[in-house]
Amino acid sequence: MATTYHPGSDLEVLTPYTPSPTPATATVHKSSLWSWITTTDHKKIGTLYLFTSLFFFIWGGVEAEIIRAQLGGPNRHLVSAEMYNQIFTMHGTTMVFLAIMPLSAAFFNYLIPLQIGARDVAFPRLNAFSYWVYLFGGLFISLPIFFKLAPNGGWFGYVPLTTRTYTPGLNVDFWVVGLQILGISSLAAAFNFITTIINLRAPGMTLMRMPIFTWMSFVVQFLIILAFPAITVALFFLMMDRFFGTAFYDMAKGADPLLWQHLFWVFGHPEVYILILPAFGLVSEVLPTFAKKPLFGYPVMVYSGILIGFLGFGVWAHHMFAVGMGPVADSVFSMTTMLIAIPTGVKIFNWIGTLAQGQIRYTTANLFAIGLVGLFTIGGISGVMHSSPPADLQQTDSYFIVAHFHYVLFGGSIMGIFAGIYYYFPKLFGRMMDEKLGKAHFWVNIIAMNLTFFPMHFSGMLGMPRRIYTYDAGQGWETFNAMSTGGAYLIVVATLIFLFNFFRSMRSGTPAGPNPWGAATLEWTLPSPVPEYNFATIPTVTSRYPLWEGKDVDIESARINQQGGKTAKQLGIVLPYNTIKPLLVALFLVLMFCGLLVGQRLLIGAAAAMAISLYAWLTSPLEPEHH
Amino acid sequence: MIGSPRLRRLATFGAAATLALVLGACARDYPNTTFQPHSEYGRAIDFIWNRLLLLGTLVFIFVEGVLLFVVFKYRRRSDDVVPPQTHGNTALEITWTLIPAAILVFIAVPTVRTIFETQTKAPANALQIEVYGHQWWWEFRYPEYNVVTANEIYIPTGRAVNFTLRTKDVLHSFWMPQLSGKRDLIANHTNYIWFTPDSTVPTTVWNGFCTEYCGASHANMRFRVVTVKPDQFASWIEHQQAPAFFNAAPAAPAVTPAANSANAAPAQPAGPTPAQLAGFIIPKEQVPAYTIPQTPLPDIKFDDRLAGDAARGQQLFTGAGTCNACHTISGNPLAVGTVGPNLTHVGSRIAIGAGLYANDARHLARWIKNARVMKPGSIMPTLGKGQFDPQSNSAVPGGLNDQQVADIVAYLQALK
Repeated sequence: MATTYHPGSDLEVLTPYTPSPTPATATVHKSSLWSWITTTDHKKIGTLYLFTSLFFFIWGGVEAEIIRAQLGGPNRHLVSAEMYNQIFTMHGTTMVFLAIMPLSAAFFNYLIPLQIGARDVAFPRLNAFSYWVYLFGGLFISLPIFFKLAPNGGWFGYVPLTTRTYTPGLNVDFWVVGLQILGISSLAAAFNFITTIINLRAPGMTLMRMPIFTWMSFVVQFLIILAFPAITVALFFLMMDRFFGTAFYDMAKGADPLLWQHLFWVFGHPEVYILILPAFGLVSEVLPTFAKKPLFGYPVMVYSGILIGFLGFGVWAHHMFAVGMGPVADSVFSMTTMLIAIPTGVKIFNWIGTLAQGQIRYTTANLFAIGLVGLFTIGGISGVMHSSPPADLQQTDSYFIVAHFHYVLFGGSIMGIFAGIYYYFPKLFGRMMDEKLGKAHFWVNIIAMNLTFFPMHFSGMLGMPRRIYTYDAGQGWETFNAMSTGGAYLIVVATLIFLFNFFRSMRSGTPAGPNPWGAATLEWTLPSPVPEYNFATIPTVTSRYPLWEGKDVDIESARINQQGGKTAKQLGIVLPYNTIKPLLVALFLVLMFCGLLVGQRLLIGAAAAMAISLYAWLTSPLEPEHH
Repeated sequence: MIGSPRLRRLATFGAAATLALVLGACARDYPNTTFQPHSEYGRAIDFIWNRLLLLGTLVFIFVEGVLLFVVFKYRRRSDDVVPPQTHGNTALEITWTLIPAAILVFIAVPTVRTIFETQTKAPANALQIEVYGHQWWWEFRYPEYNVVTANEIYIPTGRAVNFTLRTKDVLHSFWMPQLSGKRDLIANHTNYIWFTPDSTVPTTVWNGFCTEYCGASHANMRFRVVTVKPDQFASWIEHQQAPAFFNAAPAAPAVTPAANSANAAPAQPAGPTPAQLAGFIIPKEQVPAYTIPQTPLPDIKFDDRLAGDAARGQQLFTGAGTCNACHTISGNPLAVGTVGPNLTHVGSRIAIGAGLYANDARHLARWIKNARVMKPGSIMPTLGKGQFDPQSNSAVPGGLNDQQVADIVAYLQALK
């Protein structure tokens, strides 16, 4: 037995994989609805996040299609002005809070324990709680549109428009309360993952041996903890104004609208790094595997991720270059914004360095990863263009900005997430996705995405403002908008190809072994799908790439772990109880918030029920006693 | 598939399409372009933009080029070959950190310089225009001339113009893409933006837009800027200073009861002077098509054949129409409302409804009949008899009949 293993020659040489008749259910014991509702297993929770967030991605996509249908030509009236304003508000809110963040959370949940060699996260019940709060909060903020009461103040909710004076209805109430609910979900998860990553790494896994996805996720959790309080304060003030008549944003009493803007963007800018860093992490996992060489500049990738997280708190007012902060503030934020471009660009170069000299395989996952590198570059360049206030005074609040952030969010985050889905699908479901359909998805998607968003650079610089439900003819914008709308319809085609592939492959994809890609990290030492207990024996880690460069001890434990077929009981592994309590606490929490809109009795009743369920949760053991 | 002829054709198509887009954007038929500066301020912005575009394009070509090169060159040729397991290269890391930093210096230096240059105080002799944002229209005042108007301004070329920006309600933003960058109107703040239109700027009209989401009709909050020669401006401003040019009633008593607005005519003159009557208004032939709204009419029935009587209209304006509750017409002492736009010379404006509809009898009549359908969220009530008010979700009980509307239209159109 050789002491080092070359990439691509994984352990299947030692222990050939023989697919069992129904690989998707071979090692999953309980798959009833009740087992899903009461689960505390990070893998099930990750799967719940994945399906729910894919659903909301489609929901946000439908909102986008309505927007594009309306804007495809001048003076259209597919939807009324009021409905359009609700739809564009919800498109942004849905995509940011209900699609991209939870898609990232799906990966945090599923992958982090597997990548660090742990059996679960530090707080499994809190983990379930985070998911249920997300689901109920997502429904809370999404259902009002069916009553024409959806939030309509923009996803950024500037005051005083969103104060009761100017928007008296329930719309903004749903938004203010809904975002706070979703914030609780993210914060709980952040504390969970930080504790997990710090405490539950396998022996030998120093921080600098951690897989890069876990590293980027680690940075993201700190961003969440530090950024969400800012928006919570902003929302809390607005909630107090709207419900209890305080005057934080009461212009007649001398309030300053910039208070909201600063608080919101102190959150809002780190938020965009929360949205992109997980996708960066996924790309950093995918490219090395398919180039058959390690990530180029791993330490630099780690440090640049940390630096981006840190600097991300110093650039927020670049969203406010038009508000009149004065030349000194404008200059300072301009400089910090330019500064943050440097560690971001460094990542691009390191990814190219990873591919260079490799033996690149064009799997769908890799195509999407390469796609992110190419498209995020475009979004990054337009971002640098915004960083200069004099130029930005033409760009801001125009479609040029819309182009920029869709390149970084769609061409960046979404492409990275698709890369992650194609890459990790075999691990989740024990089957491969179809590569032909995957490539079709990729090509239609990349053409559609560019067709939709590239023309927006032009309509923006040619004078088209943002957030308008219609525009007049003869302004020079028709052609670009027609192209964007055509591209948007094509995105629907791409997404349908993906969905068809996804669901069909779940049922009848080619069975997958532990390591179909020949990758290097710990999750690929486990059977696909992963048994409930993850690792039969907790591995010892001696390198960053256990399956490529690990020592004998790594390989031996990997060999044990990948065999599968045993239950937790047979292995003597104690697993946490299934419990409905996290769901109940989440439900009563959301009902309590509903009480703010409905009435005192609901608020107090739900609070009491929540307290009782929480007490029951805290006083019941996580798992059976064991020694 | 990579490297195949199909892909090469696709790439060529993509490049051609991009080139077409780029060249197209430079063409002259983009009425709201930001690429043609008309002032020192505009040229300062343009300088930075051109540098950003050049550097951005170079970086784009370089990075995407290297990416594509690497992706093609290092495609898998054999499953047995193990590529060099390079973990990194410090020299490269330093290089590709320092070079971007150096490139950014080329942007940072002119940026800071231009920020400070363009945010100095306006010159002392600048034309002062006070801008007040409302949901969803623009109030403009020329304090040095005691002129109040709405949704349309004239500015002289060759003279600095200083806009003082305030809002009466929510946040708005003031943008004339062809003329300058934008600046927000922030509640409880006063913002400024100033520039000097070049003397070579022709006498023509430019479009302006609100660019901060401000609610239901944010998309409909537009304005017009007319650049004129200095003598044309002097003539126009005299014209604006005059009270309304139509007055069927005898001159009002000297003391006006509620002299609460700055545009209440002081001592009521007998009428406009000849100079004021001949005051400059941009001729129709010089008004570019893209500043005349093409917004289609909603389905509001109105008998366009009706002839209106301006004298009756004047009575209705302060009578059954109750228009004076919200609107001021200088020279009509009963019309001193300040909720809505000043209508003193509305007849000579290019558009109505804040740049939303063409200023003619057809549009004006339907505006009066049902402003709330013409412009979503409009605070102006639905006035036409039997018309459906979308905000109260019911038909208007009383209201003006078509003849009355036609009369008011005639009156307003006479206010040139």
